[in-house]
Amino acid sequence: MVEIEKFFINNNDIKLEAEFFHSHSDRISAVLVLHPHPQFLGV
Amino acid sequence: MYNNVVSEVFNKFINNTISCLRFNFRAVGRSTGKHSSGRGELSDAKTFIDFLINEKKIEKIFICGYSYGAAIGCSVVNYSNILIGYVAISFPWDFMGLKYKKLSQTDKPKLFIQGNKDEIARYEKFQEHYNFYDDPKDFKIIQGADHFYWGYEHSVADEVFKFYRSIV
Repeated sequence: MVEIEKFFINNNDIKLEAEFFHSHSDRISAVLVLHPHPQFLGV
Repeated sequence: MYNNVVSEVFNKFINNTISCLRFNFRAVGRSTGKHSSGRGELSDAKTFIDFLINEKKIEKIFICGYSYGAAIGCSVVNYSNILIGYVAISFPWDFMGLKYKKLSQTDKPKLFIQGNKDEIARYEKFQEHYNFYDDPKDFKIIQGADHFYWGYEHSVADEVFKFYRSIV
């Protein structure tokens, strides 16, 4: 079963919601995926 | 935390046991704050890069952004040497302005994915924008896809993953 860490990080008093999967086979490489913005073009 | 394209890419990496982080920008989902037209969102992206480096001890980070997320994510590519390159899916150059085009210029590897039916990140302007970027670079046109990639998510995720494998 895949374990995905769900958490919040503070950025200057703003709470940012995130999900992170940390691979056991490669601990030092990661992909950062960025969403579209729902207030931008209705996406 | 759901978008059809982002979820397909996120799951593609997880299914291949590659560490992957996604987040909601300020004012999206359960993230607090207000939309700040880019300035704060660039800071949000850098916050997570710092988190991966400092808290998770990650030594190589690959960026993949879609639409607004492409403009923001690719624009922080020169923030750290640990960032090794990016994939931009439907980079909305014409809506975001020259600032993001300049910020996303880099000598790191980059791939641009574009649907040939996209009327938001307009396909007609794609080649002109692509030509601005220095090598190394590549592009993939998803035939039949518009800005939302419904039905083409799998193709997009495959291209992102292949490019990641080629540089990591």
